[in-house]
Amino acid sequence: MDPSPRTADHGPLGGRHERPDARAKVAGSARYVEDLALPGMLHAALAVSPVPSARLLGLELAAARAVDGVEAVLTAADIPGKNQVGVVFPDQPLVVEERVRMVGDRLALVAARTPEAAWQAARLVQPLLEALPGVHDPVAALNSGAPPVHEGGNLIRTFKVVRGDIARESTHADVVVEAEYKIGGQEHAYLEPQACLAIPEGRQRITIIASCQCPFYIQQAVARVLGIPLAAVRVEQAPTGGGFGGKEDYPSEPAACAAVLAFATGRPVRLVLPRELDMQASTKRHAVVVRHRWGAGRDGRLRFAEVDTVMDAGAYIGLSTVVAERANVSSIGPYHVPAVRVATHVAYTNNLFGGAFRGFGHPQVTWAAEATMDKLARRLGIDPLEVRRRNVLDDRRRRFCTGQLLHRPVLARECLDRAAALAGWDEFHTQPRTTAGPDRDGMGIGLALYGCNLHHGGQRLDRSSAVVILQADGSVVVRVGLTEMGQGNLAAAQTIAAQALGVDPAVVQVWQPDTTTVGDSGPTVASRGAHMSGLAILDAVKRLRTKLDPVAAELLGCGAGEVELADGFAFVRGKPERKVSVARVAAEMAARRIEAIATGWHRTRARRFDAETGTGAPYEFYAIACHIARVKVDEELGLIRVEEVSAAHDVGQVIHRDALEGQIQGGIVQGIGWATTEELKLDRGRLTNASFTDYIIPTAADAPKVTIAVVESEGATGPFGAKGVGEPSLIPAPAAVRNAVCDALGVEIDRLPLSPPTVVAALGARHPFAWLLSEKQVDEHERLATVDRKR
Amino acid sequence: MAERVTITLTLNGERRIFEVLPGRRLLDLLRDDAGLIGTKEGCGAGECGACTVLLDGAPVTSCLVLAASADGHEVVTVEGLQSAGHLHPFQEALVKHGGVQCGFCTPGIAVTGAAIVARGEADPSEQARLLSGNLCRCTGYTKVMEALQDAFPEGSHAKS
Repeated sequence: MDPSPRTADHGPLGGRHERPDARAKVAGSARYVEDLALPGMLHAALAVSPVPSARLLGLELAAARAVDGVEAVLTAADIPGKNQVGVVFPDQPLVVEERVRMVGDRLALVAARTPEAAWQAARLVQPLLEALPGVHDPVAALNSGAPPVHEGGNLIRTFKVVRGDIARESTHADVVVEAEYKIGGQEHAYLEPQACLAIPEGRQRITIIASCQCPFYIQQAVARVLGIPLAAVRVEQAPTGGGFGGKEDYPSEPAACAAVLAFATGRPVRLVLPRELDMQASTKRHAVVVRHRWGAGRDGRLRFAEVDTVMDAGAYIGLSTVVAERANVSSIGPYHVPAVRVATHVAYTNNLFGGAFRGFGHPQVTWAAEATMDKLARRLGIDPLEVRRRNVLDDRRRRFCTGQLLHRPVLARECLDRAAALAGWDEFHTQPRTTAGPDRDGMGIGLALYGCNLHHGGQRLDRSSAVVILQADGSVVVRVGLTEMGQGNLAAAQTIAAQALGVDPAVVQVWQPDTTTVGDSGPTVASRGAHMSGLAILDAVKRLRTKLDPVAAELLGCGAGEVELADGFAFVRGKPERKVSVARVAAEMAARRIEAIATGWHRTRARRFDAETGTGAPYEFYAIACHIARVKVDEELGLIRVEEVSAAHDVGQVIHRDALEGQIQGGIVQGIGWATTEELKLDRGRLTNASFTDYIIPTAADAPKVTIAVVESEGATGPFGAKGVGEPSLIPAPAAVRNAVCDALGVEIDRLPLSPPTVVAALGARHPFAWLLSEKQVDEHERLATVDRKR
Repeated sequence: MAERVTITLTLNGERRIFEVLPGRRLLDLLRDDAGLIGTKEGCGAGECGACTVLLDGAPVTSCLVLAASADGHEVVTVEGLQSAGHLHPFQEALVKHGGVQCGFCTPGIAVTGAAIVARGEADPSEQARLLSGNLCRCTGYTKVMEALQDAFPEGSHAKS
């Protein structure tokens, strides 16, 4: 019996059935953390540093303690366990002891009877700070003499890929493109801010209900900070209002704060971050500087690629080294390149806290790689689509950047062709472009090859647990360790369980992840949610069927090996008229007290990767995504309107069609925002635009038309052959937009976002009003949009 | 200590009386005093639209409306869009079209969308402009707009 049969003909797989969480959400009855309240509950607030770099000499707490309603004001000294929340490396205290390293570093924790009293008290905490020199430029941070953010200097680590003979390949290169790309970071802007509720049981046990992606990360952090065993910490994921990576590791920090306050006061404590503090202090997509030196022959075929990237990690390592690992091996895109030299440096600064964000380093290096491919195309006079066709990996040449052989089929050319057909690439390029008025039309390509699931370096986390319980009435309880944050993991888990058990999805209830109900399943990241939930569920169903099939067989009068499940029935293989409902079998199992609960487990096979040379198998399998954007640019104002994005995605097998399309549509828009209007404006580490007023994300009026080609194929190892789409849905879009804008204007823009001042500055003397804008004025615009390099 | 004011409003069709401090936000009255937790706080600054309710039929960001100024007026929250146990047609359409992901923006979107339907505005670009005060980070808006088109009674489709 095949536990994951390809059943495209029948069953819910690939369908558009109602998502299980939609109805409650649309009615306003889903309860997020801030919708939960308990009698006696206190509200937490955080006193944080207003400066990026300082020595903490003392804290004046009297004024804070005197605020009416305040029950506790705590400092680092009050932490019962270890004052440490670094998710990978222990370089990050929960509460500052002696050194402030970022604006937003926590100085004190407050609990009060109302949120107003708590935040008022937090503002009255007076820190005694001795300013220390800070460093705000990641490239300058790596120079000797730069103020060290931590002992040991500002270079956290360098990752490399070294393959082939650059010197020899250089002799075959007829054109060499050199470029420096300055790529800004991004704020997640989930609609629900960071939020958690800590419910203590004396000082022995605690429950944390959190808006989060990784309940097991929170469990580990809280156990460490409280100094209690893992089993004494229960973490339940609440309905979570968006994550995108911003709720991967960061939630452990507010959760540990609430936990410390809960233990100290003996009361439940709820913490919801105000939007401004959330934007300042929580993790961000890394800002990076990428330098390229790529060479190709006259025929457009790449000969060598040199990439040097510096990532701004901010004050603490967090997940920066993991992001760098992914960026590192993804730096040359889905292209065949005989010689490669990549170096990815991770630098401490006193800027924003770099961390996980949908794509995880891949969007930045893809933006750069796709820009260089277009530059090569323009230098050689070759169509950008054609130059990619000539270079992409395929079933014949399928050696990835690191030397890993990709599984067939490698669908890069197929995705390019499908997206180009949807976009009308050839038609667009044969039509004459309008020159009347300020609007310019352009079309551009973004292409990405995404390594699904965790990097080799994260293999120890790569397992997943599920529990399936068949109820006496035939309905089914499913528990998994991967989380729903809007992307559709609940729908995927429900669909896969229903498909495997042959029942209607409506009888399958997937309940919220809870660390006391399943084993540690690792983080819901890296587009691994449906993949890992699904495989663990299929394993559980396989084990359940060792108990179920014999009972069904008895009722049907056949052998246990002949039992099939579909359409709500157990039937005899080949004789569908001999059937009995699954509900009937469940009732019989209950009556006979037969075990109707099964656990499932999946872990990925170990693979080899040499971190020194960057060679081997960093990821288990890969998915291709191609986006082609059509834009209209106002050449006078520098305003970009993305009119249409055509998307082709290599998904293996569709699990839930609406969820898939929703991810692609949402990823494209989030990517467009990063590419055009979302700019993190820093003043020496302080975010000056920490609000939706000044940090501009796309609205309904900005949404482009999105057309989608879903490319299914056989052979992938996911549940029913599914790959992952959470991140491939975003990664190519920003590159496609940049390339379309450059196509429209006929200039190169090497800085992201393509804000109006940046577009205007790139036009230089070609701007229609260049005679009005002096060089000095354009520079001033640019300075306002730039991390201040002089400081 | 400020004195409380007594306000009377029609809340989801029901006449309700509350005593509030003058500075209390309508958002907090709805969530904490009336227990209607469907309306969400996303920013507290009137920018994201998650707190949208109808005030005399017009969408407003309740985080910027003083509860006291609702005295004598009609307020409808996402909970009030339902009637006789049935969801509003736009709410049903959002479910049917897959226009709900994380769900945090959804109540605000449902409320604004209901106002758009009540107004009879069927032109998609005007609908997008009217919805542009409700930020969504998950869906990319496509399925939300498809649901809105589907929420109109038969025969009254987009002018385009």
